[in-house]
Amino acid sequence: MSSPRAAAGLRLEQLDAARWRIPRDERRGMRVDGIVLADERLMAGLRDDPALDQVANVATLPGIVTASLAMPDVHWGYGFPVGGVAATRRDGGVVSPGGIGFDINCGVRLLRTDLGAADIRPVAERLADALFRAVPSGVGSRGGRRLARDELDAVLVRGAAWVVERGRGTPDDLDRTEERGALAGAEPAAVSPRARERGADQLGTLGSGNHFLEVQVVERVLDPAAAAAFGLAEGLVTVMVHCGSRGLGHQVCTDHVAVMDRANRRFGIVLPDRQLACAPLDTPEAAAYLAAMRAAANFAWANRQLIAAAVRDAFARVFGLPAERLGLRQVYDLSHNIAKLERHEVDGVPVELCVHRKGATRAFPAGHPDVPAPYRAVGQPVLIPGDMGRCSYVAVGAPGAMATTFGSACHGAGRNLSRHAALRALRGVDVAGQLAREGIVVRAERRDLLAEEASLAYKDVDVVMEVAAAAGICRPVARLRPLVVVKG
Amino acid sequence: MGHQAAPRGHELLPHTADAGLRARAPDLPSLFEEAAAALAGLAADVDPGAVAAEFPVEVGAEDLPALTYVWLNELISLADARAAAIAGARVEAVTVAPAGGPVGLKATVALVPYGRRARPRVNVKSATYHRLAVEPDPGGGWVLTAYLDL
Repeated sequence: MSSPRAAAGLRLEQLDAARWRIPRDERRGMRVDGIVLADERLMAGLRDDPALDQVANVATLPGIVTASLAMPDVHWGYGFPVGGVAATRRDGGVVSPGGIGFDINCGVRLLRTDLGAADIRPVAERLADALFRAVPSGVGSRGGRRLARDELDAVLVRGAAWVVERGRGTPDDLDRTEERGALAGAEPAAVSPRARERGADQLGTLGSGNHFLEVQVVERVLDPAAAAAFGLAEGLVTVMVHCGSRGLGHQVCTDHVAVMDRANRRFGIVLPDRQLACAPLDTPEAAAYLAAMRAAANFAWANRQLIAAAVRDAFARVFGLPAERLGLRQVYDLSHNIAKLERHEVDGVPVELCVHRKGATRAFPAGHPDVPAPYRAVGQPVLIPGDMGRCSYVAVGAPGAMATTFGSACHGAGRNLSRHAALRALRGVDVAGQLAREGIVVRAERRDLLAEEASLAYKDVDVVMEVAAAAGICRPVARLRPLVVVKG
Repeated sequence: MGHQAAPRGHELLPHTADAGLRARAPDLPSLFEEAAAALAGLAADVDPGAVAAEFPVEVGAEDLPALTYVWLNELISLADARAAAIAGARVEAVTVAPAGGPVGLKATVALVPYGRRARPRVNVKSATYHRLAVEPDPGGGWVLTAYLDL
């Protein structure tokens, strides 16, 4: 097997067609190996990427077990790579807010309909306008109103259920949401006044950057049994929502990274990157962060619940039928920036771990008790958005994920070009016109955002999906092609 | 003398998903002003002469990189909480205690609400500690490097 070196000078050992190892003796302080899920094609794009350096850095975290993991969509982040997974022992390990990210519980929700692509085409422009109006998007976007203090407290504790209780969704939505849309242990008091100030009028907003709303069509079913369980069939229309906890979550992470950075000297923790600032799980600093992170995660689930309600309203207006008559139901909602206390086997022994997923989703297989009842026989839906010009995937968690990635999989295609590079490459190109020629109607707050988010800025999600399947962490269920795209 | 001649300015640095900034200035107050200007230019377009509201800011930290983290994040959160663009920042003082003691910064920040005179460009979620550095510039003055989560 080959042993090339990455730009950071790290030795890479190819273990099989989909896995590479950065040996723990490659860098001082590494406590475990780095394991990167990639084939030759993905690795060719990674060798000069600081992401591999970050995989090695994460391997220095106190209490980390088994390996610092990189999913097939991994790319350069800050502290952790995007697409990074790290599990630390509850006893003797740490939590690192940078291993969750600033957009706490950024995630994806998928709805399905009984509509076909032929139903969308004649109304695509009108539907795009209706969705663009219904869901506030862009930098500084505000929701319908500012939440009162007690309302915000309730959102931070009850998450998506708070929205459903107000008639904006159904109990079935909660059944098909990771953690039923609320993590236990959230404490509103742990959320700073500035975080509250930022979040109070942002509920129900998409934000900007790579956040989006897409109307898609199931182009191909690859696993008929799982597709049937998820309510998907070839030709049916789906709606995908990608967003997170807005300014509230950003502020929670900002606040607690600063606290932990100050505390690291006291804890005697030395790190290769200050953005990895962390605290032992048995300290007040870790408890305060986890309480605030859970509150921010619940805010994000409430946010996506409200956005889904606005999507249902927009469809009902355009088609002149209630959303239920259109078969508009939730498939799943999952988080890809979060830390969870979970039980996994380490060296054959079940132990409680703090699993950090930074740009990575949970991918539990069939039979796992945390997979929602409607899907337990097939496994947890894994939602993998690609890019707005090509496709996205619905996959399903596979047993290999429990054996190798603490039940985790990739969260998207992963960027391969900076925003600036994408803008430069597409200077003078009418991206909206190109998409229109492909039959994709697009709405965006800014035209240059379309270049920043164009297909060439992302890895090929077909390759990412192929590698994830080859690594045994999830299986493809359906390939979705975009019809209408709304960008923040 | 070197500090008198040191250049002042800023540039953006590439990053796959996010963005970096580098600021140079002859002294610490103007260095932190330049970093604010880089952030402001990345995040929004503000018309010259747009009417701005001013906010006093006072932050402290244990060292200069940490001061950068809290300064840039104070700007980001202040602007986000008010749905406003950063129009400018005037740093009145940077205090540095001897022998590695705490550091502090006093400034006035000008914000223009988003609208016709101030248009958002990029959502900056946070400044990070990743590759964060504040160092004497070999050419004189100071250089600051920071990466932002977009």
